[in-house]
Amino acid sequence: MNDIQLSRRAFLRQTGIAARNSLIVLSLPAIMSSSAAASEAMLENSAFKILGSEEAREFAAIAARIIPTDETPGATEAGVIYFIDNVLGTSRPEALEPMRAGLASLQASAQSTYGSASFSALTPEQQDALLVSIEETEFFGTMRYMTIAGMFSLPEYGGNRDYAGWKLIGFEHKHVWSPPFGFYDADYMARGE
Amino acid sequence: MAQASFPTREEVDFVIVGSGAAGGIMARELSTAGFSVVVLEQGPHLQPGDFRHDEWSYTQNEELVWGSRKGHPQTFRRYEHEKAELVDGAPLGYAHNVGGSSVHFSGNFWRLHPIDFNEASVRGTIAGTNFADWPITYDELEPYYTKVDWEIGVSGLAGPWDPPRSRDYPCPPMPVKSAGVLLERAGKAMGYTPFPAPVAILSKPFNGRPACVHCGFCNGFGCEVAAKSSTAVTMIPQALATGNCELRTGCTVARVNTNENGRASEVVYWEEDGTEQAQKAKAVVLCANGAETPRLLFLSASAQFPDGLANSSGMVGKNLMFNGSSNAAGLFPEEINGHKSIATTRVIHDFYSIDPKHGFYGGGGIDSRSLTRGLPMASAMRGGTFSGLSWGSEFKRGLAQEFTHTASFNGHCTTLPLSTNNVTLDPEVKDKWGRPALRTTFMNHPDDIATMKFFLDISMEMLDAVGAIKKVGSYARDGQTGGVHLLGTCRMGNDPATSVVDRYNRSHDVPNLFMVDGGSMVTSGRGQPTMTIMALAFRAADHIIQAAGRNEI
Repeated sequence: MNDIQLSRRAFLRQTGIAARNSLIVLSLPAIMSSSAAASEAMLENSAFKILGSEEAREFAAIAARIIPTDETPGATEAGVIYFIDNVLGTSRPEALEPMRAGLASLQASAQSTYGSASFSALTPEQQDALLVSIEETEFFGTMRYMTIAGMFSLPEYGGNRDYAGWKLIGFEHKHVWSPPFGFYDADYMARGE
Repeated sequence: MAQASFPTREEVDFVIVGSGAAGGIMARELSTAGFSVVVLEQGPHLQPGDFRHDEWSYTQNEELVWGSRKGHPQTFRRYEHEKAELVDGAPLGYAHNVGGSSVHFSGNFWRLHPIDFNEASVRGTIAGTNFADWPITYDELEPYYTKVDWEIGVSGLAGPWDPPRSRDYPCPPMPVKSAGVLLERAGKAMGYTPFPAPVAILSKPFNGRPACVHCGFCNGFGCEVAAKSSTAVTMIPQALATGNCELRTGCTVARVNTNENGRASEVVYWEEDGTEQAQKAKAVVLCANGAETPRLLFLSASAQFPDGLANSSGMVGKNLMFNGSSNAAGLFPEEINGHKSIATTRVIHDFYSIDPKHGFYGGGGIDSRSLTRGLPMASAMRGGTFSGLSWGSEFKRGLAQEFTHTASFNGHCTTLPLSTNNVTLDPEVKDKWGRPALRTTFMNHPDDIATMKFFLDISMEMLDAVGAIKKVGSYARDGQTGGVHLLGTCRMGNDPATSVVDRYNRSHDVPNLFMVDGGSMVTSGRGQPTMTIMALAFRAADHIIQAAGRNEI
């Protein structure tokens, strides 16, 4: 079976949230462009606690390639950069200087390769090419860690806005479930196995 | 009755170090028998309402399981000639709170089988290892397994898959999950005998506690409705209600002092603000787990006990065992939703003892799970299980597909006791109290690794048998680098020359000192040791109470 087809079918079939997901898929372009614009505005207007707005834009651009915005919301819409800013001031202060050093090195590569020190100003293809070249570095590992943590943690930490990360994978935050939990146990009950 | 309060300078009957699976039971049993008991616990006393579905905090910021971030660094090395390196997190993982790891465990409650107790006699010893029989039999422990079932609260289904039991489970099995259905169907297709997983989680209201609500934040988290049968919601409240037990939280034990007669006399500890205290006691029970108990014995070395307290055998800290594991993840066409409900609902034990004709020693079981505990962040951190990608749009699409559609068949198996696998004090790294850090030296015996591979191979065949679209398998082919089942480090035995505690968990060397936790286990069992740790605790408590009554402590 084709994976992408499976993925889309799975995505549409999420119990209880099928309608909402369908809506997202059907009206995707409009939602994408409006949320991207909103995220851009947030970036301009929000005061970061730790990061300067310039470096925040660059880190956010890296996060946006790790979990891109495509047919579903990505790190940008989830506000991952705000999670990063938050934890750099709380539980991960030790990551700040290595991240700044890693960014400086990445910007130097951007300058020498593409003639622009602004990573965020490059095309997605150029950004991906640069990130592939640093995939094995500790800096990229940290950015990946931060991006994923920000995408899937509780929104109170600053990311996963509107549960963008959880919706992406089909996770619903509920405190009570009852059987059946999935297709196979429903089928098992129906067959009286 | 109100919680007791004892002055430190007056001798209490027992000081118990640790309030976890074993400590909670010791506290309840000894206080119920009328003894004065002080329990020292280094973590806080969390209530069900304190627990949150907070993956960032619990899995990444050491909310319950402390490591370097909380001032408790650990070091690790493969072999004794190497220098141990500081490791991020905690290679020896255990929760720091009242109830210990019974608060955040997944509650899988396998009993040992009769063969676990005399396997060295049946199977033969294994050169280069400390593989040995236990000094007790399954029959001697069985009444205490049943006591755990009914005092703690266990759900399951009695049947031919079970070792002999004198009484049924108090609660029926938990509802089967999709991964459990797949394991059951695969197992039956291959001629095995799958059965409902026994778990220390309530399927119906029992002993004043409610049934599980299937929230899914089980393994690694605390239960917010008190349906998980931790000692924090079972034994500890009962101990405190006797009026004979004082629970002191935020208290980190520095050492056990002995008197001129070589008897334990007091336990020195720090309160949270650093104030040093010493509680005098007639007897001391260490229930600090298979890592912290041997560490405390080393820290209690004195002129009288130069190699550490209770260590005339030289076996303290040695024979560290985890349980081996393998993980076979399968992608299925329909929804699994492993993030709902408990960790596992079906098990097979058809390979409890692997046929010796395979040429290695081992055995274990396979259960049904969700990959990465059904946790969103952990699932993404792992990377695309089936895409093999770790970032970008295709990685993202893979995540959306696999989070809800993956089942995992996990092997849980034996590891052998070796002198060279051990817990010692790190010569350089210190914790926040200035105590030498825990240093782990560990490399699996080749038979452990062969056993893990054996269980992976069967699990992969089972995934095929039940129609997985894609599958990925893994096991620690280069050896394990840590564990949460901390076993063997104060082994039980009849011979003081080769064991640390006797058949009733009493130190061979120090007559009023008892070690009751996973360290007592002579062999590793096949997995899920907490049930056995609890049964040993009930048994030890019975004998301590009787011995105290005869004035023999």
